[in-house]
Amino acid sequence: MKKNEWPYELKYGEKKEYSCDVLILGGGIAGCMAALGAREKGLNVILVEKGAVAASGAGGSGCDHWESAATNPCSKVTPEELVDMMLRDNKGFNNGISHYIECREGYDRLLDIEKMGGKIRDTEDEFKGADFRDEDSKLMFAYDYKNKFTIRIWGTTFKTAMAKELKRVGVNVVERVMVTSLLTDQGKVGGKVVGATGIHTRTGEFMVFKAKASVMAMSRPARIWLFNPAMVGLSEFRPTQCIGSGHAMGWRAGAAFNMMEKSVRAEFSAAGKSYPPYGAGNNHNTWYPASILDANGKTVPYADRDGRILTDYKDRCLPANGQKFFMKGGGIDGGIYEIEGPETISVEGNPEYKLPLYADLSDLPELERKVIWGMMVGEEGKTKVPILKNYTKAGFDPEKHVLQCYGSGWKSATFLSDERQLFGLPGGFMNDWHLKSNLEGLYVAGDALFASDCYGHAAATGHYAGRHAADYVKEAYEENENGTSEFTRGEISQAQVEAEWTRVLKPVMKLESGYSANQGYRWQEVNMAISKTMQHYCGEVRTEDMLNTGLAQLERIEAELSERSIADNPHELTRLLEVMDILTVSKLIIQASKARKYSVAPLCFTRGDEAKEQRKDQTFLVIKKTEDGIDAREVALDYYGDLKTNYEEFNKEYIEAEGARHV
Amino acid sequence: MYRESGYGADFFVPIQYDEKKCIGCNLCVDICQVDVLLPSERKGENPIVAFPGECWYCGSCVMACKTDAIRLVHPLMNQVRWVEKDSLGSSL
Repeated sequence: MKKNEWPYELKYGEKKEYSCDVLILGGGIAGCMAALGAREKGLNVILVEKGAVAASGAGGSGCDHWESAATNPCSKVTPEELVDMMLRDNKGFNNGISHYIECREGYDRLLDIEKMGGKIRDTEDEFKGADFRDEDSKLMFAYDYKNKFTIRIWGTTFKTAMAKELKRVGVNVVERVMVTSLLTDQGKVGGKVVGATGIHTRTGEFMVFKAKASVMAMSRPARIWLFNPAMVGLSEFRPTQCIGSGHAMGWRAGAAFNMMEKSVRAEFSAAGKSYPPYGAGNNHNTWYPASILDANGKTVPYADRDGRILTDYKDRCLPANGQKFFMKGGGIDGGIYEIEGPETISVEGNPEYKLPLYADLSDLPELERKVIWGMMVGEEGKTKVPILKNYTKAGFDPEKHVLQCYGSGWKSATFLSDERQLFGLPGGFMNDWHLKSNLEGLYVAGDALFASDCYGHAAATGHYAGRHAADYVKEAYEENENGTSEFTRGEISQAQVEAEWTRVLKPVMKLESGYSANQGYRWQEVNMAISKTMQHYCGEVRTEDMLNTGLAQLERIEAELSERSIADNPHELTRLLEVMDILTVSKLIIQASKARKYSVAPLCFTRGDEAKEQRKDQTFLVIKKTEDGIDAREVALDYYGDLKTNYEEFNKEYIEAEGARHV
Repeated sequence: MYRESGYGADFFVPIQYDEKKCIGCNLCVDICQVDVLLPSERKGENPIVAFPGECWYCGSCVMACKTDAIRLVHPLMNQVRWVEKDSLGSSL
C-alpha cells in the first residue's frame, strides 16, 4: 500500500493551554451565536470548532427556511400558540423551554444575522408581487401564507457573515480542533465543569482549555444504527464529523440526559440509502407546494386536514376552514389535527395511480417555481452545487421536466424497523431555564439539547445559553471576589488531563512505536460493529435481556478498542475518536432504554417485555452517570412551569435591552 | 502517512479538479469542514481528495473556489431521473 507524506507538521507530544471566561464547544449556528451572546457581555470568549467556522456545522453551507419566527412583524401567531402546538404534537415529549426561546427570540437572531451581512429579505425585489412576499418588509414566507411565521432565507450567506462577526468582536476562534472531553472539578464525575480538552485534527497537538463557564453546542448523535463505510458522508443528514461527541463527553462527565431512549425508524439520508436530500422529487419543506403527478401525468390531488380536495394551488398555502394555522409544508407524520397542513392524498396501492410519481413545478405560478427551483434549492445546505448547479447544467428545466419521487413524503428511501436514527426531536442534554445542564458551569445550546431541531432553534438557544453563561460568570465570580458567595471556583485535575492525553493519542502512538498495522482495528470496522450491535440488540422492540447482552457486547468492543485500535494520522485519529464517542452514546441509549420499563408511543419506544400493570403516568426519564453507577429519575413533562411567566422572569434584562435594540 | 487507496472508497471521486483552472490556492482545503482534502505536495497544484468517502456533498469547496476549478458530483447510485412532462403516459 502506497504511503504518502502527511502534509502537516505532526505535534503528537505537544500540549497547548488556553484560558477564558466562557468556552464555546462547537462552532455551528448555535456555537457562533453563543459566542456572540457571551461576548456582548464583555467577557473573554474562546470558541473551539472541528472544521472551519465559515462553513461548518449542520447549517454551515446553507439553509432555505427559518421556522417559528413568531415575533416577526407579519406573524399572526404568538410564541405561546406555536409552542403549545409543538408540545401537543409530541404529547408533551418536547423541550418547552428551548422551543419557547426559539419562538420568542428567533426573529431577534435573524435581525442580528442580517446586521452581520446575512440576507433575510428580498432586497432586489426579485419576487415582487408574489403571494409569499410582504411588500413592506420584503420578507418572504413559506408554507402558511396567511400566518407568516416561517421565513425563506438566503442561508448560504449566514455562516460566512457569522465568522466575520466573531473576528470583528474579538472572539478567539480555535479551528480544526476536536473537543475530546470535559474537565471537571478535581476530575470528579458530576463535578463543576472547569474546561475541556481537545486535539488538533491536522497536527495531533493536545489542547487544554480552562474556563469559568462552558457552552456545549455540538451536534446530536449519528451513525448509531446505520453506517456505510464506503460512503460515510452519506450515512446521515448531519455532516460526517457531527456524530454527537458532546453527548458522549457530557455523559462521561456526569451530565443528565433526557429522552435518549427515543429513536425513529430511519427517515432520511441514512447509510447512503436515500436519494439526495431535496434533490429528488417531493412536495415537502423546500419543495412545498409542488404538484405531484403519476406516471401517466395524472395529478395527485392535495387535500386539507378534513379531506377537502384543494384544486387551486393557492389553497395549499392557507389553513383549512376553521383552522388557525398549520405548522409545516407537506403534512407531519402522526401530527395532530389542529396543525395538520395540506398534503397530497396517499396513492399507495391505489390502482388509479401509476408509479413512479414525479414532482412538477411547471404548473405553478412563475414566482412560486422560481422560489423553489432557484432560491430555496439554491440556499439549502447541500443543494446549491450538486443539485441546482449540476441538474441545470445537465439540462433539467423546471418548466418542462418533472423530477422522480423515490419514496413517500420527503423520505426518498424505505428502511427496516431496526434501522433507526436520531431524527426529528431526539434525546439530549437536560436543561433548566438558564439552558444550564445539571453540572455547574455547563450550559447547552442547539442540537445538543433534548428535542432540538432546525436553524432558528440553534441560533436562538445559542445566544441564550451564551449570555446566561456569561451572566453566571459575572455574578458568581464577582460575588466571590467580594467573599459573599459559597461558590466553588473549581480546579482542573492534572491527573484527568494526563489520562485524557494518553487515551486520545494511544491509537497513533501504537503505530509510532512499531505496532503492526495489520493487527489493529480502524475506525470504519469499529463503526460497523457498533451499528450492527445496536440494530440487533437495541432495535425497534427492546427487552431487558437483549439490552443487557448488547451492553456487554459494546463493552467488549470498547475493551478491544482500547487495546487494538489504530490510526495513521491525526485525521484518521479524529475519525476514530468520533467512533469511540458513538460507542459511548450507544451505551447511553441502552442505559436509557433499560431505565424505561414500558412503551411510550410519542418516543417511538417499544418494550417487548413490559409489564402492563407497571404502567405509570407519562413522564420524562432523566438519566446520568454518577461516581457509583447510573442514576435515573422521573421528571414531570411540564417541569418548566408557565412558559411566558418563567421566560420573562429569567430574562428581564434581555427583554428591556432587546426592545430598545431592534426599534 | 495516509493510504491513497486504502479506504475502500476510491471507486468514486466526489470532487474533481480541472487541473488547468486550479491555481493551488487551497481555499477549498481551508473551508472543508470534513477535511477530506489535503494540500498538494507541489505548490500551485490542485489538492488531493484524500478521504473521498467522507465527503457529505455540501458544495462549500465549489462555492469557495475563485477559478471554477472544482466539479462536485453525487455517486452514480444517487443520480436521479427526470423526464419531460409531455412524455408521461406515453414512454413508460
